[in-house]
Amino acid sequence: MDVNEDGRIDILSGSYSRKEKDMAGLFQVLWGTEDGGFAAPEPLCGTDGKPLIIAADDKHVTDKICTRPTAVDLDGDGDLDLVVGNFSGTFAVFEGQGEGKFASANTWLESDGNRIAVRSHGDPCFVDWDGDGDLDLVSGSAQGGVFLFRNEGSEAEPSFAHAETVLDVAEPRAGDTTFGAAHMKGPQHDTRVFVADVNGDGKFDLILGDAVRITYPAEGLDEDAAREQLGVWQKGLNELVAARVAAAAADKDSFDEKYADHWKLREKIIRSVSTGYVWVMLQK
Amino acid sequence: MQGSVLACAVCAVLAAPTPQTGGPEFHPAVRLEGGGKPIELEAPGYASPCLFDVDGDGEQDLVVGQFRDGKMTVFRGLGEGKFGAGEWLEAGGDVAQVPGVW
Repeated sequence: MDVNEDGRIDILSGSYSRKEKDMAGLFQVLWGTEDGGFAAPEPLCGTDGKPLIIAADDKHVTDKICTRPTAVDLDGDGDLDLVVGNFSGTFAVFEGQGEGKFASANTWLESDGNRIAVRSHGDPCFVDWDGDGDLDLVSGSAQGGVFLFRNEGSEAEPSFAHAETVLDVAEPRAGDTTFGAAHMKGPQHDTRVFVADVNGDGKFDLILGDAVRITYPAEGLDEDAAREQLGVWQKGLNELVAARVAAAAADKDSFDEKYADHWKLREKIIRSVSTGYVWVMLQK
Repeated sequence: MQGSVLACAVCAVLAAPTPQTGGPEFHPAVRLEGGGKPIELEAPGYASPCLFDVDGDGEQDLVVGQFRDGKMTVFRGLGEGKFGAGEWLEAGGDVAQVPGVW
């Protein structure tokens, strides 16, 4: 997206939080350069010259962290606006004023006076889903899945309905004894969605990123042996927990080292790999 | 009490997603490959993909953000929905790293 309308593509990224007392996920922009590359990231600022931050007090810090901004002309006035997902799952709007300038204060996407939302980690992307001439909102979520918020208003006055499920959330993990990744038939958790025509057939498709944790038996063990040993390990952990609960208050800290030692044993039974996959769902 | 319970029930109905009514249908998800291998990010993952022509050759490239170090990988578009092997996105002469991500 050409955020500052200089004819060059820019890259927008959210962030979890700056590492300062006031937690806030800034919106980082990599401006496109004359040579076709990108400048180093810098915070996107509002008309007051300060980094854009979603308005939220300390009790609602999840409203302003883990941001995911997208630039879109939400109200059809010719200026790009910012719609920003967050940890809470709601969507903040910073009205655009042209040439990469945005209002410093945000509003929220609402329906009937309530903020529209996914369960957590909103991830906005816009497309005319139903072909009625206005932009609809599509989002992933921390639980996985893809959700549609239909624009029931118009191009100039968007009005988004509450969520419809396009793709169900991922099945809960069947514990660490479901080894490997063969059982993962689709996007897992923490889905990030992008809408584009991947195969050039004129119809939009869904591109989805996710986060996954895959477990394998530790070296020297087969799956059956790993499952058996993990069962024994789990029993040991349950006994430790019960012992700590029953212990006198003065003795509870002594369990910290026992827990740490017990978890180290687990590394000899299974190993875990965390990664992210990218999926495509082609439109029929 | 009855009124507040009713209000809670209404809020729950409004908030719970309903199955999509009408609209486009999609084939089952398939993992995208880059350079002939399924794309896998550095731990802990959290892939954030988008599609745009990074190098101006007319083909859409796949750019995937990740949590670790706020880096992004570019998989050059080869046409027909296929992509080449990934390379880190660079900005300002270095591998681009978005701060405050991890």
